[in-house]
Amino acid sequence: MTDDTEEQLAAFLDGAMDDESAAAFEVRLSADPELAARAELWLANDRRIAAAFAPLAEYPISPELLARMGLMQEDAAEVRAPVAANDNPPWWRRYALPLGGAVAASLVAVLSLPRGGGEPQRDLSFALETGRSLEAVRLADGSTVTPTLTVKAADGRWCREYRQQAAVGLACRDGGNWKVEGTGAGAGPADGSEIGVASGADSASLAGAFARIGASDPLGIKEEGDLIARGWQER
Amino acid sequence: MPDGSAKARALQQAIIAALPKLRRFCHAMAASPADGDDLMQATVEKALVHGDQFREGSRADSWMYRIAQNLHIDKVRSTRRRGTVVPVEDAFDLVGDDGRATTESRSDLAAAQRALETVPDDQRAAFVLVVVEGLSYKEAAETLGVPIGTIMSRIARARGRIEQALKGDAGTIQ
Repeated sequence: MTDDTEEQLAAFLDGAMDDESAAAFEVRLSADPELAARAELWLANDRRIAAAFAPLAEYPISPELLARMGLMQEDAAEVRAPVAANDNPPWWRRYALPLGGAVAASLVAVLSLPRGGGEPQRDLSFALETGRSLEAVRLADGSTVTPTLTVKAADGRWCREYRQQAAVGLACRDGGNWKVEGTGAGAGPADGSEIGVASGADSASLAGAFARIGASDPLGIKEEGDLIARGWQER
Repeated sequence: MPDGSAKARALQQAIIAALPKLRRFCHAMAASPADGDDLMQATVEKALVHGDQFREGSRADSWMYRIAQNLHIDKVRSTRRRGTVVPVEDAFDLVGDDGRATTESRSDLAAAQRALETVPDDQRAAFVLVVVEGLSYKEAAETLGVPIGTIMSRIARARGRIEQALKGDAGTIQ
């Protein structure tokens, strides 16, 4: 891979390409699995780092620290991040524009998520209902589903991203059933079993679905575990 | 000037409003949380002294990111001569609502900070501004005073290094 490709990939991921270049790069991505895998990996790394630092802008700044910096306010109140100071787009929205379009659409056509048989869908629901993120759940047909993260939709439903074979999906819990909101092809080898990446690595192709449901930031593992233990009921 | 103190107050308010994001940027640039807060304080001091350089109507956060980046580069140069190392694991003395949640996010943060440490400062600044702070390439270019193409290549190289750093460090959850 040449340096130029990496720069183009960076610009593509950050939405810094003009429409024409982005369209050309999407064609390239869909024809080059290795490049697509790299795109997914870079996105996952970005997301991981951004998520790790995100809370730092939420911590209040104490009156003592303000005073030390010569910024004492008259009312001496703590400075909390105002809403406007935390106006970065949520993690999924940053990626919705560049990757939510043609690539995702073309990948959906080849997804291998079982549908219509009744049984597999119920098993998928079972995996999403009971499995913790990043732990594979074996289905009746011998295949596995690995939930990768949990978010809350704007309408209050709990939703999970998951990996199933070479596909990734986003499903939301609706009255005890899990309804698939979107699917896409994952990165990496076709059987998916060798992928050892950080959580939610493949969500780029699901960006459109994440945007549509209005996803919150992902839950922490502890919070998610408690939620599963409570049968997805709010505390 | 009759409106001098009103102007100073407006500057203070702009600085205070930008502080939470400035602190995050400083922590991402520095080697430890303590260094991050030191950098933030030094940035604020400089911003207050050079308040006349701030153009009203422009973004205070970008202006302060730039001050912080310049201070950081200066500090790195002088520290290289003296050599001090503070381990990342030295906890954030920031208190969360829940002790366990704080510990978990702290280890995520430590891993992220270790990965960023492998990235040279100019590349790290470009990466943090765009990926963590959410600036566009154009805004990041204006903030750091370099062409957009430079931002693009720095971010590409930063991502390559981060890819290597996070390889084999497969997840935050064990």
